[in-house]
Amino acid sequence: MSETTKTIAVNRDVKAELRRQAEEMRQEFARKGTLIVNILSSPGAGKTALLEATAKHWGDSRKMAVLVGDLATDRDAQRLAPFCPVEQLTTGGACHLEIPLVKDGLAKLGRDDFDFLFIENVGNLVCPASHDLAEHLRVVLLSVTEGDDKPGKYPKMFRTSQAMLISKTDLLPHVPFSVSSAIDDARLIQPELSAFSVCSLTGEGIAEWCAYLERCRESLMARQSEPAAVP
Amino acid sequence: MHEASLVRALLRQVSELLVEHGGESVVLIRVEMGPLSGVERPLVEIAFAEQVDATVCRGAELRIEEVPLSAVCRDCGDEFDIERFRFLCPACDSGRVQVTGGEDFRLLDIEIRQTHEEPAARDMP
Repeated sequence: MSETTKTIAVNRDVKAELRRQAEEMRQEFARKGTLIVNILSSPGAGKTALLEATAKHWGDSRKMAVLVGDLATDRDAQRLAPFCPVEQLTTGGACHLEIPLVKDGLAKLGRDDFDFLFIENVGNLVCPASHDLAEHLRVVLLSVTEGDDKPGKYPKMFRTSQAMLISKTDLLPHVPFSVSSAIDDARLIQPELSAFSVCSLTGEGIAEWCAYLERCRESLMARQSEPAAVP
Repeated sequence: MHEASLVRALLRQVSELLVEHGGESVVLIRVEMGPLSGVERPLVEIAFAEQVDATVCRGAELRIEEVPLSAVCRDCGDEFDIERFRFLCPACDSGRVQVTGGEDFRLLDIEIRQTHEEPAARDMP
């Protein structure tokens, strides 16, 4: 008997398998015409309120559903249930959602014929940024009470998002928050970031946000109908 | 703090590789991280120390290679490292910057120990 050591080259992201599953689901929903939107923010920035306002704005004109993640309770699902199909995902203490939990939630919803599927992530500006949930669009909310210096402090979150919503703008007269500073700070990290201001309580900016979502979905569907590229 | 779940995934993958290659034990696990990997080195080290002994990887050394955040400009093709998360091309000031390294948490390679029969023994009838 003899002992030898052997090096096995791998060179693969530890989350490669989860990313593959996410990519597969992203393509499947693109073919079905469902835009998947991953909504991220710190706790209390207004993700659920934004989704309530979005559902109210559309009424029955758009089919939307929500998968909402929290460490515990189904409070957010209860808030959203009067407006649209919703499934609460409880992580049992984990700080972020992962694709298997999203797939379980979708199976519990029992249908997938939506125009928009929103995934309301666990409130946290750090860990959720690292996890691909099959979204076509990643949106980060920044409420004005959090301060306009946050984008630079949480670079991965803002780098990996396509849109930033500055929320609770009705409080702007009461807090030292500069909308333009926050946008400038975020665009140093992600120059192509789309930026909107919203107030879910008054409805300010909600029509623009919904129009943006519609444009994103139209562009997703247009990409689907393009003929395959000639190699 | 999601390092614990990433380290769990890492150890599962290494354990599968050990079995697949018929190894006895894992000597070394080499991983790569960078400024946008979304993991903190000390937290990875703590999670690894806490979890490794409960797996077939027990006794393995974890070696972490840190790489800079590298990028290429999609407008002028300049290749550069990103400092202080300023995603602008230093050559042409474009914001159309593609990150090429430093945003993954990668398993690079592993070193395993294998026990072999002596070659002569194989020729025995």
